[in-house]
Amino acid sequence: MLAEVLTQVALVIGILLPISVLVFIGRERLVRTRAEWRDRLRTNAPVIAVLLVVLLINRVARQTAPELSRKVGVHLTATFYNVEGEFILLFKSVETPELTAYFASVYVFGYTFLLIFPVIAYFMLSDTRTFRRLLAAYALNYAIGLVLYILIIAYGPRNVMPAELTERMLYDTNPQYQYLTREVNANTNVFPSLHTSLSATVAAFASMTRSAYPKWFPIAVVLAASVAISTMYLGIHWGIDVAAGLVLAAACVVLSDKLVGRWSLSDLFGDRFEGLSDRLPRLRREE
Amino acid sequence: MNWSPSSPDDGVSRRSFLAAGAAGAAVTTSGCIDRVRRVVEQAGDNQLSLSITTLPADADRQNVQIARRLETNLEKVGIDVSLDMRSPSELLKAVLLDHEFDLYIGRHPADYDPDFLYDALHSTFATERGWQNPFGFANMYFDTLLEEQRRLDGEQRKQRLGSVLHGLAQEKPFEPICFPDERRVARTDGFEGWDEGTLPTRHGYLGLEGDGRLHALVTDSRMTGNLNPLSATARERDTTIDLLYDSLLSERNGDLVPWLAESVEWSATPDDDATDEQSDANADGERRTVSITLREDCRFHDGEPLTASDVAFTYRFLEDTSLGRAPESPAPRYRGQVEMVDSVTAEDDRRLTISLRGEKPAGQRALTVPILPKHVWQDLIDQQASDGEFSAPQGRWAAATGDHIPPIGSGPYRFESHSEDEQVVLERYEDHFTLRETVDLGEPVPGGIRFTVDPGSTSSIRRVDDGGADLTASMLNAHSLGAIPDTPNVRQLSSPHRTFYYVGFNVRNAPLSNPHFRRAITQLIDKETIVDEVFYDHATPTATPVTDDWVPATLEWGGEDPVTPFVGSNGRLNVEAAKSAFETAGFRYDDNGRLLGGY
Repeated sequence: MLAEVLTQVALVIGILLPISVLVFIGRERLVRTRAEWRDRLRTNAPVIAVLLVVLLINRVARQTAPELSRKVGVHLTATFYNVEGEFILLFKSVETPELTAYFASVYVFGYTFLLIFPVIAYFMLSDTRTFRRLLAAYALNYAIGLVLYILIIAYGPRNVMPAELTERMLYDTNPQYQYLTREVNANTNVFPSLHTSLSATVAAFASMTRSAYPKWFPIAVVLAASVAISTMYLGIHWGIDVAAGLVLAAACVVLSDKLVGRWSLSDLFGDRFEGLSDRLPRLRREE
Repeated sequence: MNWSPSSPDDGVSRRSFLAAGAAGAAVTTSGCIDRVRRVVEQAGDNQLSLSITTLPADADRQNVQIARRLETNLEKVGIDVSLDMRSPSELLKAVLLDHEFDLYIGRHPADYDPDFLYDALHSTFATERGWQNPFGFANMYFDTLLEEQRRLDGEQRKQRLGSVLHGLAQEKPFEPICFPDERRVARTDGFEGWDEGTLPTRHGYLGLEGDGRLHALVTDSRMTGNLNPLSATARERDTTIDLLYDSLLSERNGDLVPWLAESVEWSATPDDDATDEQSDANADGERRTVSITLREDCRFHDGEPLTASDVAFTYRFLEDTSLGRAPESPAPRYRGQVEMVDSVTAEDDRRLTISLRGEKPAGQRALTVPILPKHVWQDLIDQQASDGEFSAPQGRWAAATGDHIPPIGSGPYRFESHSEDEQVVLERYEDHFTLRETVDLGEPVPGGIRFTVDPGSTSSIRRVDDGGADLTASMLNAHSLGAIPDTPNVRQLSSPHRTFYYVGFNVRNAPLSNPHFRRAITQLIDKETIVDEVFYDHATPTATPVTDDWVPATLEWGGEDPVTPFVGSNGRLNVEAAKSAFETAGFRYDDNGRLLGGY
């Protein structure tokens, strides 16, 4: 069942990506990248490594964090529910099967696409700083998100108000998706909404790079807004989680500007690292 | 307490009962800051506040809906309420082990015999930790009746149990809400011979006709990480444990069949202490003993022989898991059953004599606990005790909290492998007595069973329909029952009502120690509407935690609760009437309609 859903996601992304590369990035940048990719990869290697390490920690933490969370975490389901009450039931008035299908596909496919495409798009830019900032912002989102997930134990609206949400709950309308989300997250990890924060991060970057990718900017904003709304519409997140996601996104975008380029790895590790990163593309060439 | 004992000859005067009630149902345990804070708050003019411990919809979709309906009505009568949402094992830990709760919503596993009420309500368990009396309820009159029903049989026993049920409906240490319909779906192309009534027990997984490995879906992942037969928090019901472990007798569709016991002989011996009021003898002044011969050459899954001394060990160990090396630490499960056993004497390897504290009905139930291997559990205790400092806090030390994987039992299935949160695989135990030609009992499936976690009822049904699994082993959520397809290879299986949804009260603390307050709360619960809207009519509302013939005529459901009917009509609460019930109970309201703590 999981394999089925994963194949579906891979298929959709596999179709969307090449099309978007052609539409948003253009031939010229592709040609230039082909000539420069080794240099860019070398410059970007440290931040790619950082992101991979954060993702790996995230993956490992999925096993160990719940235990830790039970010990140090604070239960906040009741607080969120008391503060915002039935706010997300607001969407009840606009609920239609079509809208539910739209938000469900945005939540799963749109979000995945929204995260992957900018990585490719910004790698295509000659100035590597945007790319490095984006990856740093991703890493920050995941890292801060993980810490908050450990400290705050809260269940989402779908766990509190199943009856009111039943027509549009993701796992009722599309039960197969729960196999996917179960792999990625625990049901007590709702604060903040990482779907929202990462989407908003992407939208913020799209705004900063709109001179380079003018067509991407409106698409990114609409998609990001849809993802944020979908998390509430589908009953997965509280309004508070989404608000916190937006704050987290803002913080990560600002922090990425402050952090990226601050340390040079060659200063830290000296020649050893230089030698290593020199060898990297050469190894590739030998293949 | 405006009810009178229904049996005039029960030996307890009404006065002593009233005295017991007046002494308060609360049991004083060691002081804790939380309670001090509450008392201080309630002395002032603060709004009364309560928390309702409940489960996320992922774990039990109905539970939180019941909790929220109760929350809404409690708020309408001026009580400040917060929902305390916990995962299934955390909820059980908070309620059963830590006693940190005010109200909670649960689904009680109950049992095939109403004797489970002894475990749930007897005052000797009020300070213990585990499934035994989590409410902290203590009432001398109940104790007497609960003990008497154990010493009786037939109509007399039924009468005593009727009194317990009447008392329960008045005193309300917990309030049953409804019996949910217990439905599952199974494919009929891979396996045949489904016995729908027995699926909550080991018998549902025996005698199936089919060659491959049975693939069963469970919505609850706890069993993939914990197979400890003693654990209070890892499960509600014992189905999986019953596959891995044997018991002397086994319940099948309400009847008991000899299981590990090859023969069971009931006899009575005159009791020397028959004149003593504390006697365990039956109504005729006799003591029940059971002579049991175990089946020949039974072995545990590790190859060690299962003998009468393992049986004796099991009852001794469950009574005190520290085996006398630390302050007594009874197991957090099977407590009432073990209490029923006075002594176990091993005559030789296969023969043993069990002396009971009562008659056959409750005695039989005592013989359904899983038999544990002495060599495994003795080792565990020796290890724990080897470092000199050994303490065994009840329900909270390694014997009860360990995951106990791999489990060593003697049951029809043997543990093969597990992957936490994903699956548990059991293989057929080739040495099991059910496979012998001379034994006429259902055999385990040749290919064993794979239990896979599928978190949703709806997706589980779909998976069985698609041929991705043979059975939904967990009881299906009510909302998903409409999704059951009408296809030739999929059969709907329905088991009789046994488990029930209920509200449990922590009667240790004020104001929940006050039965009048509890009654006023139960009148806020609209069971008919809950059954209609939360269970889509796939449940039966009830005033009492037992079914069928055990329900006294006066407690039968007649469209509303016969003792504490919902204050309101058509699902709408009559707020003024509900409030006046609290005022009658001695509570006050402030000018803003908030219920104040204190009397």
